Amino acid sequence: MEVPGAEDRIDQATFEQILEMDDSVDDRDFSKSIVYDFFTQADSTFDKMDSSLDAKDLKTLSELGHFLKGSSATLGLTKVQHSCEKIQHYGHKKDEAGSADITEEEALEKLKSEIAQVKKEFGDVQKVLKKFYKDES
Amino acid sequence: MLENGSDESVVRWGDNGDSFVVLENEKFTKHILPKHFKHSNFASFVRQLNKYDFHKVRHNNEENGQSPYGAGAWEFKHPDFKANNKDALDNIRRKAPAPRKPAATVEDVNFSSQQLDLMNSQLVATQTQLQQLQDRYNELTIHHSMMIQEVIGMQKTIVNHEHVMQSVMQFLHNLDAQRRRDSRMGHPFGGQAQNGNVDAQNAQVTPEDDVPASPLQHAAKLLSETNADVMLNPRNLEHMNEITMRMNGTLTTPPPEFLRARPASRTGGPGSAGSSASVRMGDLDNLVYPVGQTQGIDPMYSEHINNIPYALPSKPNEPIVPDARKKSAHVDPGWIRPPQILLVEDDPTCRRIGGKFLYAFHCSIDSALDGLEAVNKMNAGSKYDLILMDIIMPNLDGVSACHLIRQFDNTPIIAMTSNIRSDDIAMYFQHGMNDVLPKPFTKEGLLLILDKHLAHLKKPVADGMGAPQPLAAARQVLKEEDSPAKSPATASNWNSPNNMPGVSPVGTNMTEEQYIQAVQASQAGHPNAYAMNHMQANMQYGTSPQMQLQARQQQQAAHAAQAAQAAQAAQAAQAQAAQAAQVAGHRRQASDISGGDDMNNAAKRQQMYGAPQLQPQGMNPMQRPR
Repeated sequence: MEVPGAEDRIDQATFEQILEMDDSVDDRDFSKSIVYDFFTQADSTFDKMDSSLDAKDLKTLSELGHFLKGSSATLGLTKVQHSCEKIQHYGHKKDEAGSADITEEEALEKLKSEIAQVKKEFGDVQKVLKKFYKDES
Repeated sequence: MLENGSDESVVRWGDNGDSFVVLENEKFTKHILPKHFKHSNFASFVRQLNKYDFHKVRHNNEENGQSPYGAGAWEFKHPDFKANNKDALDNIRRKAPAPRKPAATVEDVNFSSQQLDLMNSQLVATQTQLQQLQDRYNELTIHHSMMIQEVIGMQKTIVNHEHVMQSVMQFLHNLDAQRRRDSRMGHPFGGQAQNGNVDAQNAQVTPEDDVPASPLQHAAKLLSETNADVMLNPRNLEHMNEITMRMNGTLTTPPPEFLRARPASRTGGPGSAGSSASVRMGDLDNLVYPVGQTQGIDPMYSEHINNIPYALPSKPNEPIVPDARKKSAHVDPGWIRPPQILLVEDDPTCRRIGGKFLYAFHCSIDSALDGLEAVNKMNAGSKYDLILMDIIMPNLDGVSACHLIRQFDNTPIIAMTSNIRSDDIAMYFQHGMNDVLPKPFTKEGLLLILDKHLAHLKKPVADGMGAPQPLAAARQVLKEEDSPAKSPATASNWNSPNNMPGVSPVGTNMTEEQYIQAVQASQAGHPNAYAMNHMQANMQYGTSPQMQLQARQQQQAAHAAQAAQAAQAAQAAQAQAAQAAQVAGHRRQASDISGGDDMNNAAKRQQMYGAPQLQPQGMNPMQRPR
């Protein structure tokens, strides 16, 4: 089951096993509800990220990054997942690989651009998935 | 020491020669006591004196309340302790400790402290005994509930066997009818006026065609008389079991087959089991048996296998769920019961997908949103077979939760996390986690973990003969019974010998043996009931492997021999003859079932069923007194 237009945004194998849990190819209620719940979850997380960024709350930003990383990874949304991982590292005042230390200013700077990046990645994959589920149903 | 005058200043005879006086307490204790005793403790000396019934002489009546020997002097008296009267010394004996004199004086404080030690040690000993008794009681309680489980399992097996017999009977009835029809068809008149000439045909049908019907009916009658559903009242046991469960607070999760059996069945004893049986009978009635030499079931043609009116044993585990259209996703790992899994995960997406996977693996799922909830659930006494624990969670993280749970519980805990660096993993294990499931987890990864940590819940590999767990096998049978689309009896017993979980393992022989003996014992006072139960036992053995059969028959032969001595010779001979017939009957049973078209066996079948009926008559006189 290919998701059209997903390319490298979605890990097919991971997403496939969620689709497998659907009752049938005509009835994708289960995976659809999971994916759409994820949309809601991501939106609220982005809101929290924005306010945490304003408050320069690096710790919360790292936690939010980890939280969204988990669910996007479970769905196989690779690009969102990788952006979230970077946010998690920056929140720990580490570089994007999580190895070298960076200053708070650097971290906030990087976080700002990365949060914009993750929103973009999410928007892209959301479009693809919405299209997929509209086509399906 | 009193004879020795050198110590007179310290200790000497009293003025009247009927007592002795310790004048200087300190010197006496330090210098004289060690010479005569192993201690230098005046209090001990006094206690010793008291024990030998010496008493301190009080001087309360003196004017000034002072002893005539001085303030620090102690005067001791004993009726038989007199100066220059050594003969009386033999009368000075240690007091019997039991009757404590009510006149216990101040000195008795020492005395009673010793007594107190004794009491204490006795108390400790009693407590230890009590503890041992308690342990023993707990042990017995557990054994008892195990026994009940076992017996219930055995009863259900017997009921299943009963159903098999009924199915076989039904099958044979059909065959019988078929046979008679065939013979009529083959008759010169049969083909033309089948309906009109029924009576005439029946009249003309040779007696040998009618004979097979009567043994069948006879057997059916016997079966109905010995309906296991009526005979074995499982409600009592299940009630007992329930009580045990309730009393045993630690077993908060009753075995699932118990749960399942409880609401569904047994409310009407024969009624409920009978209803399931009757449903199956109805199915059988609706089945068409194509005419032909092989009755439409030719083992040489694989497509004919669909004509067998029983569930195929080859796929016993595949769930028959009508709306599970996509079966590939629903893998049944073959649990003996659905494993109870606690999924601890704060992320709703992961939780839902994880839960869905677990559901697909036939697990029963409970979830907690964070470590705190998980610990609370565990603390409240919930029992799980496995805990899947996210690591980074609000309120209480997974590692801390695991650490807390490990203080009182050993349920396997699997860390579910994307932090799988080696030092992370080392930390997980250090805090009592059993394994790590890397996130994002896959279905395969999850299944692997389940397989690894829940191996004890797996059904024994269905290669039959070596199946090591009789109880598990019995449960398997029970589980299959609950699958509505299958005939329980056939699922357990119609199978090829390789797939007979309930009967074939050698391990079950013992329990069956024990059970039968128990039945014999309990029914000893009721010859009639006994006879029927005994027959069931025999029928049960009809499906057992040959080896066991032989052993059983030898045993029965021994019984019969005993009977011969006690009862009349004729009766014994009858019993032995019946036994011989029974052997023949058992041996042919397999071919009866598979071949099915050999009507000659009917006569032997009559013998088979007749045998147990005859036997008890010969055996009861011997067995009842036992």
